[in-house]
Amino acid sequence: MNDPLESQRGATEKRPRQVFELDETGFNEVPPRYRRFYRRWKGAGDSLAPNEVKCPVCKVVIRSRVELRAGDRVYCMPCMSRLEVVDENGELVAKVLY
Amino acid sequence: MADFLSNYSIQRWLESCPQGYLEDTVYGHGPDDHEPESMLDNDLLRESEIRSTVQLIAGERCALAASSGLINSAPDQASKAFLATQTLDEGRHVEIFTQRLYDLGIKPQDLETTITTYLNPHLAKFAEVLLEKVDKKDFVAGVVGQNIVLEGMAFSVFEMLQASHAETNPKFAHTLSGTIADERRHVGFGENRIGELIRRYPERKADVERMQRDMSKHMLATFHVAFSGSAAANEEAKRQMDSGARPKTQAVYQGVDLSSASTEEMEKVLASTVLGEFKTRLARIGLEYQSPL
Repeated sequence: MNDPLESQRGATEKRPRQVFELDETGFNEVPPRYRRFYRRWKGAGDSLAPNEVKCPVCKVVIRSRVELRAGDRVYCMPCMSRLEVVDENGELVAKVLY
Repeated sequence: MADFLSNYSIQRWLESCPQGYLEDTVYGHGPDDHEPESMLDNDLLRESEIRSTVQLIAGERCALAASSGLINSAPDQASKAFLATQTLDEGRHVEIFTQRLYDLGIKPQDLETTITTYLNPHLAKFAEVLLEKVDKKDFVAGVVGQNIVLEGMAFSVFEMLQASHAETNPKFAHTLSGTIADERRHVGFGENRIGELIRRYPERKADVERMQRDMSKHMLATFHVAFSGSAAANEEAKRQMDSGARPKTQAVYQGVDLSSASTEEMEKVLASTVLGEFKTRLARIGLEYQSPL
């Protein structure tokens, strides 16, 4: 017998990650070569793409070349925080690693 | 850890800040930007801007004294380097907000008397609590007070001011965007460095939490005096908008339209945002938020 939740999770892990083209966002708070990995959060009405997660420390949106999944580690260069992506009630959020 | 601490380098700061978002700015804004005539020609609005700018200068003078004072008590070279960059950031903030007072018509020889006249006494007490910890070379309490409480408050205040000035005063909004970028680094250092130190020295928690409670109490009193004192200017700004003397704008902060909100509503949204942020940030680093009420 299979646990449907387990098989669903396994399917997500096996599914290849979506790849994203990162364009310039006008974010200028880090050296030029890193700028496309970040953007400003636009407040109510803004939403996160599957390759994005919001830094809980400085509220900047961190962008990855590939779809993010729970367990990934990301770095917020504007505030220099190390973060881990976790699944919280079906939503991906970043937690600070001290 | 060694690699992580190397991010607090002067080189990284140079590439991000002076060679990044501050490039081509003069006192933090575009070289051709000016304060709006509709505000400069109105005594009530100009005085209100002078009053709020004085509070920014006082807060930044406190941050300058605290960040420079903490350098010698920092336990490692990377933290000393970061605090050196923060000291220059805070010195720059003092300078750009002082320049704004001059742009608002204050003469350099009247600077100190203007600050003394308009300084909110509760903000002075807020600064005293922090600087007492810095004077005692208490690094953990000093960084929590400076980089989490003071900078956390500044982060939200700057965001609110930027939202309210974005359309009516692009010069000041541009100045604020640079200070907000600086604050990201400062709060990041506070959380990341202290998050690790609090785990190492849990016996420091009670004292640090008491300091946060005292600073929060003075902060709320500062907000109350500031907003209740600006009710007449707020009404005048609305009147100018209704009469067409200044463009009708929407300035939304945390879901509240500041261009139509009362000063009580503004005080409430700012206080709840800042305290909510304190609570979340302190919990992340293992401290329990202490209500000042």
